[in-house]
Amino acid sequence: MSKLLVVRDLTKSFPGQVALDEFDIEIEAGRTHALVGQNGSGKSTFIKILAGYHEPDPGSSARLAGHDLRLGDGEAAKDAGVRFVHQDLGLVDTLNAVENISMGVGYTTGRFGRINWQADRRRAVDGLAALGFTDVPVDVPIAALAPSEKTAVALARALDGWEDNAHLLVLDEPTASLPGADVERLFRAIRLLKERGVAILYVSHHLDEVFEIADDVTVLRDGVRVTTESTSDLDHERLIELMIGHRLEHVDHRSVARVGETAGLAVESIRGGTIADLDLVVQPGEVVGVAGITGSGRELVAPFITGQAPSESGNVVVCGTSIPNYDPHAAISAGMAFVPADRATHGIIPLESVTHNLTLADVDRNWRGGRLRHRDERAECLEWIDRLQIKTAGTGVPIAALSGGNQQKVLFGRSLRLTPSVLVLDEPTSGIDVKAKDQILQLIDQAAGDGAAVLVVSTDTDELVQAAHRILIMVGGTIVAELSGADMTTENVERAQLQSTKATTS
Amino acid sequence: MTTTINAEPNEDVPEESPDEIERHSAPSASWVHRIGLDRFSGLYLLAAFFIFFGITENNFLVWNGSIEFVLTEKVIVVLLALAFLVPLTTQTFDLSIGATMALSLVIVNKVALETDLPDGVGALLGMLACLVIGALNGFIVVKLRVNSFIATLGMSQVIAAIIRRIHDGGNITNAFGESYINFGKSSLFSFKWPWSDTQIELPYYFFFGLIVATIIWYVLEHTPVGRKMFATGGNAEAARLSGVKTDRMAWGSLIASAGIAGFAGLIYSWKFAVYTSSVGPPLLFTAVGAVFFGASQLKGRPNVWGTIIAVYVLAFGIKGIGLRYPSEIDWMQPMFEGLTLIVAVAVASRQAVVKVNRRRTTDSGSDSTPEQPSPTNKLTDDTAVAEPTV
Repeated sequence: MSKLLVVRDLTKSFPGQVALDEFDIEIEAGRTHALVGQNGSGKSTFIKILAGYHEPDPGSSARLAGHDLRLGDGEAAKDAGVRFVHQDLGLVDTLNAVENISMGVGYTTGRFGRINWQADRRRAVDGLAALGFTDVPVDVPIAALAPSEKTAVALARALDGWEDNAHLLVLDEPTASLPGADVERLFRAIRLLKERGVAILYVSHHLDEVFEIADDVTVLRDGVRVTTESTSDLDHERLIELMIGHRLEHVDHRSVARVGETAGLAVESIRGGTIADLDLVVQPGEVVGVAGITGSGRELVAPFITGQAPSESGNVVVCGTSIPNYDPHAAISAGMAFVPADRATHGIIPLESVTHNLTLADVDRNWRGGRLRHRDERAECLEWIDRLQIKTAGTGVPIAALSGGNQQKVLFGRSLRLTPSVLVLDEPTSGIDVKAKDQILQLIDQAAGDGAAVLVVSTDTDELVQAAHRILIMVGGTIVAELSGADMTTENVERAQLQSTKATTS
Repeated sequence: MTTTINAEPNEDVPEESPDEIERHSAPSASWVHRIGLDRFSGLYLLAAFFIFFGITENNFLVWNGSIEFVLTEKVIVVLLALAFLVPLTTQTFDLSIGATMALSLVIVNKVALETDLPDGVGALLGMLACLVIGALNGFIVVKLRVNSFIATLGMSQVIAAIIRRIHDGGNITNAFGESYINFGKSSLFSFKWPWSDTQIELPYYFFFGLIVATIIWYVLEHTPVGRKMFATGGNAEAARLSGVKTDRMAWGSLIASAGIAGFAGLIYSWKFAVYTSSVGPPLLFTAVGAVFFGASQLKGRPNVWGTIIAVYVLAFGIKGIGLRYPSEIDWMQPMFEGLTLIVAVAVASRQAVVKVNRRRTTDSGSDSTPEQPSPTNKLTDDTAVAEPTV
């Protein structure tokens, strides 16, 4: 069989860490090759290098279809026939399929530069038909299409203009937001492409999918290739074993949760989006972690509880008070505080000062005698800067001037300042450095020690294992397992997230 | 359209975040900043006008007909500009303020002309109508989710139609009784200028405008409501998640803006005591321009005193040009207004010391890996290469 892509000795180091260490991979034409590994194993680094987003360290070599390929050069990869469909499909929702496809590959134009809409329409219809999507309405805005149809449009756009078949298609988490039935339609399209001789590099967390669609699988762990094997030689258990390996576990002596009479936070039968049914209870003084792979519904847990996003049904109770859906103000009034996952879009007011950002959730505290006491606000801000060890040039500096970790600490300050009885943290340490991360873990511990019910949603398993008293595992939109005490190890948590995806995917 | 021109100057950036900050302290920029040529460019310009035109034009530094006229006439523009400023703090645009001003003006004239009601009742009715318009704007923007730009542009035409329905064109003059005019126009402030025979007088309505401006300044800068309005404008979703009722902020600010615009109409009635169909909407550019010019002054974001400075810089500049080139003022006025706005904002933007890296930092993905793009990476600003998520 012909090797389409051969990569040798690919190393990529970032300051302080090696993301990929002498990585080799061979991908054959007409086969689907899965790339699997935990968060931070180096999968995304590899794809970013292929896409030309990162420059590899010197010493690597790559050949595509018999020709040398310069890694780290996006244009060269594109010219050589490597195409990408990312998880975020990159489509414009308000345009229709024809326009979206033409936008990527260029409009067909007639004389005087007029767009030949008929030719463009034919191209779109043909492109989709080649993927087995014969009934996609190409004249309506993309937003109205089914999720799998949108993916097909992105695929058609990526594939448009391929003259021969000696090419590679990279699919990065293509099913992360697809319901079960749509996944099947996508797989049919992938099989059609395989028959045309296209090689597919398939990146996914869903091991069931890997076994269903992939011929070969390469396992990455901590930047090192563990193995490449044919999927028929592996089973689910073995693959998980290869992905997780055996890591050393942290042992710590966390104070035992005080269990109060009334729950701090009670979530009853929440439904909506990828969440099928969510029930959980967090007692005062307890830290509960929520883990789950992308697409398991984990990413919607905090938004639904805090009112960031509207759920379809269900009930959230904070210290005995039931709070209305999609109403952060009511949640805060009831005693909840929240640090959202996406700091930049949901957390900071970028050009407002550190003080203004810190005090935002309760500005009225310093409103006395008909005046906002700016001096008291500043004093309060200095106190928090000191307590959370925030590095800033001053209280009046725009928060956007701070580093990510320090911005996050300000947002923690904003929440902790409310002395909340319920604290919901969504990806609390994402994108921040190790030292800030340690401090934030301490803050979580302190908040629980002060009697708050703390819910931590995170993709960082180590962090959950360190911070939580017990960890809830989400699979397929619901909680399938709970780990605590000695069972609560990084390995067990990761295994539980990957297991039984089949049983609950609907 | 971005309303914040530059961030507060900050030379001393935290050292641990080199990738999130770009230093923009060009050596030439520092002296400009030290003497405040950026934040106080309006005041420098105003001083320059007074010196230049004061020396060259005999009629410039004259109280009657020049300084007094500019000060009092432009109170109307000041109020209209503040009417635009208030919703702008929440990133809501109110383009109907010119028409709203005309509405209160036509109502107060019409009531005085055609009914036996006291003129003051007409003024109250005019204000009431404007507040209703503001509430409607709020409903359309907040409840119907129409972009404020479009909603208020449409409302502007609706108001124009209502005005024509009320009054069939033509001017209304001398509709008011003496007591109404005196209420606004009699001078509160009057003394004799020591070196000449000039009698310095400022009417009541000038101080009404000043009081309204002070109240707006106080609310915006010294109350929780103002803080929440700026937060809403700075990042509405983040503000909402912090418990700010962002819809209420937008709605309330639209009611306030309509009320302020309506009051500008009343001041017009005190000053000129006429209604003409050309009042209102034509002032919109000057008002909006002054707010953006004003945003480059003092604070680097829309603010009351900066706006007032901007209005008067433009007004005195035009006055001086008008005296020097009386036959050319027709085309020079818009040219001057336009160029001043562009130059002032450009100077302020150059001074922006802190530039936030537009690149989505690594906290945006649902799954974060330690594989952060390094600051030196060539494609860090290119979102077209979506960050793969593992």
